[in-house]
Amino acid sequence: MASVAAEQPYIPRRARSETVRMVLVYAVLVLIAALFFIPFFYTVITSFKTLPDSVNFSLIPHPWTTQAWHEVWTQYSFETYIKNSLFLAVVVTAFNMFLGGLGGYAFARLRFPGRGVLFLIVLGTLMIPDQLRLIPVFVMLTNWHLIASFKGYILINLVTATNLFFMRQYFLTIPKDFEEAAKLDGAGHFKTFWRVMLPLALPAIAALTILQFQGTWNDFFWPLILFGQGTPHLYTVQLGLAEFKLTYQTNWPDLMAGSVIAVLPILAIFVFFQRYFIGGQISAGVKG
Amino acid sequence: MTATATPLSRRQGTLSGARLREAGWGYVFVLVPMAVFGLFFLYPFAYAIYISFFHWGILGKQPGTGSIGWQNYHDVLHDSVFHTAIKNTLEYAAGVLPLEMALGLLMALVVNQGIRGKTFWRAAFYFPSIASSVAMINIALYLAASDGLINRALGTSTPWFSTASTATWAIVVLNAWTTSGTVMIFYLAALQSIPGDVYEAAAVDNTGTWRTFRRITFPLLRPAHFFVLVVFGIGALRVFDQQFLASGGSGGPNNSTQTAMLYIYREAFQAYDFGRAAAAGTMIFIGIFGLTLIQTLTVGRRQNY
Repeated sequence: MASVAAEQPYIPRRARSETVRMVLVYAVLVLIAALFFIPFFYTVITSFKTLPDSVNFSLIPHPWTTQAWHEVWTQYSFETYIKNSLFLAVVVTAFNMFLGGLGGYAFARLRFPGRGVLFLIVLGTLMIPDQLRLIPVFVMLTNWHLIASFKGYILINLVTATNLFFMRQYFLTIPKDFEEAAKLDGAGHFKTFWRVMLPLALPAIAALTILQFQGTWNDFFWPLILFGQGTPHLYTVQLGLAEFKLTYQTNWPDLMAGSVIAVLPILAIFVFFQRYFIGGQISAGVKG
Repeated sequence: MTATATPLSRRQGTLSGARLREAGWGYVFVLVPMAVFGLFFLYPFAYAIYISFFHWGILGKQPGTGSIGWQNYHDVLHDSVFHTAIKNTLEYAAGVLPLEMALGLLMALVVNQGIRGKTFWRAAFYFPSIASSVAMINIALYLAASDGLINRALGTSTPWFSTASTATWAIVVLNAWTTSGTVMIFYLAALQSIPGDVYEAAAVDNTGTWRTFRRITFPLLRPAHFFVLVVFGIGALRVFDQQFLASGGSGGPNNSTQTAMLYIYREAFQAYDFGRAAAAGTMIFIGIFGLTLIQTLTVGRRQNY
């Protein structure tokens, strides 16, 4: 490398290696993006193909048809699945936002005996995996007659330690002046939280909302456990899609159309709120 | 309470009205979250261990029977399917972790350069991470079917996800695709927190790109390596959705898609033996806890600088 640079006296060595580096960088960018996206393009294309055509290698459907979309929408209950998923995602996200914010604020700002120990317990729950929780939580919900009901799912997902921790970390970065001003105005602790601190934490709230909505929408495991035993009217999109896959093994066009439906709402949110996806989850993690 | 309260006097009057009110509100605010954590995390922790010492079916404890001691643990430990499930899970984790870390780091490094359309590239790389596991496994099953795109391209006809010798590795590749975008975000945050003067010093010394990365960037990323290893390691050991869907819930062919989580699921909801499922869950928890502890003591301990 040194000798090559020496033969080209008019181009500084640094600039040349810089050019080579940028070419390499763009090559890697394009390569990874292509690898990542070809499957998605192919998925969308297949959803517009007929069943016999779906095993052909062609990139253009022949004939072009919306039959799969029509079938998915009319013959299977995707409309119900979407309603169920939306309902659960909205309710679970709202509870997580409120309770995570409330708890996070208390741990960040309010002083009460035992705060340190309680916070350690919050962090400790992160170490208790689903592998261990599955059986006891299922048995508890069965005993309380909350299996095969949205109530049970919402109850066990009211608030996660991750969300509470995330909100606490964000509240810690807000200067105390704002609360002191609110206190001088005679606002109580809840009013200070609701009217002053929560609006100030909007970037964190936005990130939490999006990630929790995505998490609940995409959740497969717990809906399978709680609604998977013969209650199809409670199926979420993911559960319905899974059932669909296991029933109609290789009906690829319908399956691809269903898969696109399962991803589409999250894709829409992603396009509009992209910076919260990519910026939001950082601060609680590595930098924290 | 008094207007002239100094930090000192506040400390002395620990239970003054304002402090008492503040503490009261503090408890009120954390009440519901703590109840949720207590009820659905701490209590199940103990309850799982309790269940594991009984004959416990779908209807609960078998009436009139007491504890059966270590029987469930004994049964699980002597079940060859459990051994296979643990082996598969560890193989999967050992395969997917280096791959998603390397890919995530590579993507973080390239999007962190002075490139055009930074936001676009980041979004493009992150996109597979937002799609649901069910949609992604469907897409992967389609591409990897015996008459699918991948086999056409390679001139083979292996159904990669339902061939015993390739199933785990097919899922490794699939999940590296769907998780490396998230790994990228964590590495990106860590890269951006490295002070610029570190690189300026390297530039003055005329250190090459590769050497700068190997000698400076990579070691400085140690906290991020540790974080990703622990968080994604725990995630990898929980793997379930892909194996469940690829095998239709059976863990086949030839138990090649059995995982720790699928084993627990099948013991509970296909064999209806909650006692054994709880025993398996308890042992797997101890395993995860031990592995995390080892990671913390080895990779984690040297991260102070």
